[in-house]
Amino acid sequence: MALLINKPEKISKDHYLLRFNIHGKIPLPGQFINIKINSGTDPLLRRPFSVFNYTDSITEIIVRSVGKGTKELVCAGCGEFDVIGPLGKGFTVLKNRKVLLAGGGVGNAPLYYLAKQLKEQKNHITFVCGFRSEEYVFCRDRYKSLADEFHLVTDNGSAGEKAYVTDKLAHLIGTDDYDMLYTCGPDAMMSKAVALSSKRIPVEVSVENYFGCGIGFCAGCTVDTLHGFKRGCADGPVFDGNELLWENI
Amino acid sequence: MDISVKIGSLVLKNPITVASGTAGYGEELSQFIDLSGLGAIFTKGLSLAPRKGNSGSRMIETPSGVLNSIGLENVGLKKFIDDKLPFLIKKGAVIIPNVAGHSEEENIELCRILSATEGIAAIELNVSCPNVDEGGMAFGIDLNIFTKLVEKVRRVTSCPLIIKLSPNVTDISLFAKRAEEIGADCISAVNTFLGMKIDVKRRQPHFLNRVAGLSGPAIRPLAIRSVFQIFEKVRIPVIGLGGISTLEDILEFIMAGAAAISIGTMTMVQPDLPIKLAEELINYFERENIKNISEIKGIAHKKNRRD
Repeated sequence: MALLINKPEKISKDHYLLRFNIHGKIPLPGQFINIKINSGTDPLLRRPFSVFNYTDSITEIIVRSVGKGTKELVCAGCGEFDVIGPLGKGFTVLKNRKVLLAGGGVGNAPLYYLAKQLKEQKNHITFVCGFRSEEYVFCRDRYKSLADEFHLVTDNGSAGEKAYVTDKLAHLIGTDDYDMLYTCGPDAMMSKAVALSSKRIPVEVSVENYFGCGIGFCAGCTVDTLHGFKRGCADGPVFDGNELLWENI
Repeated sequence: MDISVKIGSLVLKNPITVASGTAGYGEELSQFIDLSGLGAIFTKGLSLAPRKGNSGSRMIETPSGVLNSIGLENVGLKKFIDDKLPFLIKKGAVIIPNVAGHSEEENIELCRILSATEGIAAIELNVSCPNVDEGGMAFGIDLNIFTKLVEKVRRVTSCPLIIKLSPNVTDISLFAKRAEEIGADCISAVNTFLGMKIDVKRRQPHFLNRVAGLSGPAIRPLAIRSVFQIFEKVRIPVIGLGGISTLEDILEFIMAGAAAISIGTMTMVQPDLPIKLAEELINYFERENIKNISEIKGIAHKKNRRD
């Protein structure tokens, strides 16, 4: 059980910050929690959300209100929720390296907790934070505070620079060396990010496909990889970007 | 109080089992529950060679249900016996593999080998998977093909044989009756109902395989009806399944005629549910002073033929 300690806070168009008090394991960056929306059977399946931040038993997540389950969740009042997690395999946290982080939309969420840990491990962090437009931008200052170099980009230039995340990545990768690229966002963005790294830079991606059980036994969330189908929830959600067969994803 | 259930020569310690497909091989589930506390675990539908399963989207939620198109992804017989079985044995689970071969020959071979394998309590023959091109549901919707397969499988299966029926037929009780005549020990009813989802944005079926199997609370009334109909025609035990999520659901199945039940889709939502429901069932029996499940099994039938 977990306690939602504040009412969901709207942080940008369609995006909400939820804070849960969860006693249990400390999450690794890239892991997720699996939330039962209500005690009934509709919505039926749990909804997975990557950990946006964790401090002293408080797990923060970002919820994008897109469907029935998330709409109900962001309207919830404080109280108990049935939550399983943290679950899944997280990002590799390097030490004393130069790293590049690139998020698209709600895909920026897991990268905040990752950046926090990367900073603790004294990495030099370049963060490309991408959103569709200004109204969708969330937690800009929190992201900025963790990055040594911070680039906000929007598709239409209404906030930060007018560029796609992948344009910015192309520029950065072309002009500097990085030890690792971490990315989370739409599949098309991640796929292009992986291509841009052209295998010179290791890439870790966090996939956002449809999960069934979230703990690895239903085989409902497979992703196609060089080593066959893998379970998005249990073998991921973080994968080596070069191992995924992007044309099948 | 005796809550054990007899399936041929097999005795389940309680009537709560976990259904094939939503329990994997027990490894993940064992992090949440003690597998030995279950009546049995039905493992993922098995083929001789490993099977990759279907490409593209494999699952989508529907109102109180789930459509799946997994396509019988499984590790294959060898890996099952070498890697998965020892774990389950160590955990003290009662192990019932679900057999889902492509062809008659493959099913026969699987049953022959598995029934001679130590640690296998019974075999569940899957004639009802809607998500594969060959075999699968084809075995379970044509009574002649069904008869031939079950006859051949029965001959090579020395352990108790359970037939998991497809509900996608006009009269499911005909298949149950035929299975009983051939000598099957038990019926599992039901597998998923054929369903479909259209992606209106892309104006095409959501699943590459077009159709998919519907499970979860959405199908429960249909499954209850199936079990009720089967109970009127056969005397072998029936394992009822389809969207069970509460004690009341279990009681409905038992009163419709089920001797045992399986939790499927809801295990995905709440992995500790099967054990919780087993405890609730015991409490109910105590509260209602029920000494044996047979006191309420099939009680909803006007004439309780068996008592």
